[in-house]
Amino acid sequence: MFDDPSFRRGARESSLLFFATGAFGLAYGVLAVEAGLSPWLATFSSIVIVSGSAQFAMLGLLPAGPVPVLLSAAGLGLRHLPMSASLAEMIGPRSIWSRLRLAYILVDETFGLTVRAHHSGVEDVVAYKTAADLVLYSGWMLGTVTGAWFGSSIDPEAVGIGVFFPLLFLGLAVPLIHKRRDLLVGALAVGVTLIASLTLPQAWQLTAAATVAALIGAGLDE
Amino acid sequence: MSDLGLILAVGAITFGSRITFLLRPRSAPVGAVGRFLELFPLALFVAIATSGLAAPNGAPEVTEALAAAVGGVCGAVVFRRSLWGVLAAGALAFYLTRALFA
Repeated sequence: MFDDPSFRRGARESSLLFFATGAFGLAYGVLAVEAGLSPWLATFSSIVIVSGSAQFAMLGLLPAGPVPVLLSAAGLGLRHLPMSASLAEMIGPRSIWSRLRLAYILVDETFGLTVRAHHSGVEDVVAYKTAADLVLYSGWMLGTVTGAWFGSSIDPEAVGIGVFFPLLFLGLAVPLIHKRRDLLVGALAVGVTLIASLTLPQAWQLTAAATVAALIGAGLDE
Repeated sequence: MSDLGLILAVGAITFGSRITFLLRPRSAPVGAVGRFLELFPLALFVAIATSGLAAPNGAPEVTEALAAAVGGVCGAVVFRRSLWGVLAAGALAFYLTRALFA
């Protein structure tokens, strides 16, 4: 597989992801330990979950208890449904092991690259995505391990690293805004979150705000 | 629930959502359900960002994190919705505000 032109193209085109996800992995490792996870649990979570958004959301919601964490994981997982349906169409009939492997690292970044490569006629979509996934996963794990085991010398409050967590989500939200309806949903989410912060228990604020905003958006015409 | 159990549960939910349509290929949900699925991540990301930047201690307040939010939005406009543009402009606004008002 390593000699496959599609595999090499996937590795080449995703190489920048190594550094980008490595930086986020580093921040995750530091913040996970700061949030109370042991270094090995922080590392284990990156092995098991492999989802920056779900893992950062988990850290943010840990003080609120397991129910909000699980609800947010389910909510964030919703976006994987159309992604996996789209990927299944692209790869065609494949072995169950290939499908399991591709599902394990079905993340926004390499999915986006794979869709673009598919449209530009890459020969083997599975080899391409496998290479991109390996690059991304290496960066994510290396960053997490470094942050979790060697990041204790960093004082998150003094450095102000905590601000990067919500900023990251702002940065992840912005590319999802394509239409006027998306902008409206974003504005609604801001408003409902602020109202919820004054009226609801902390455990329910984010889930309630996101659900209300998405429900209103789903009822609107494009 | 222990932290380990929680991590395993989040991992199971995440993997379950990823494998669903790959295991038994079928069409993605359409109609209002499809639109809800499409919009939920955006709404959740914005809610998390708003909570952390505009109400970092549980209620709306003016802090340097709010400056980071303004900087991040400006970065999104200037750098054409780039994640790194949002992070860089947001961080710049945050540290400048902190330096000026500390």
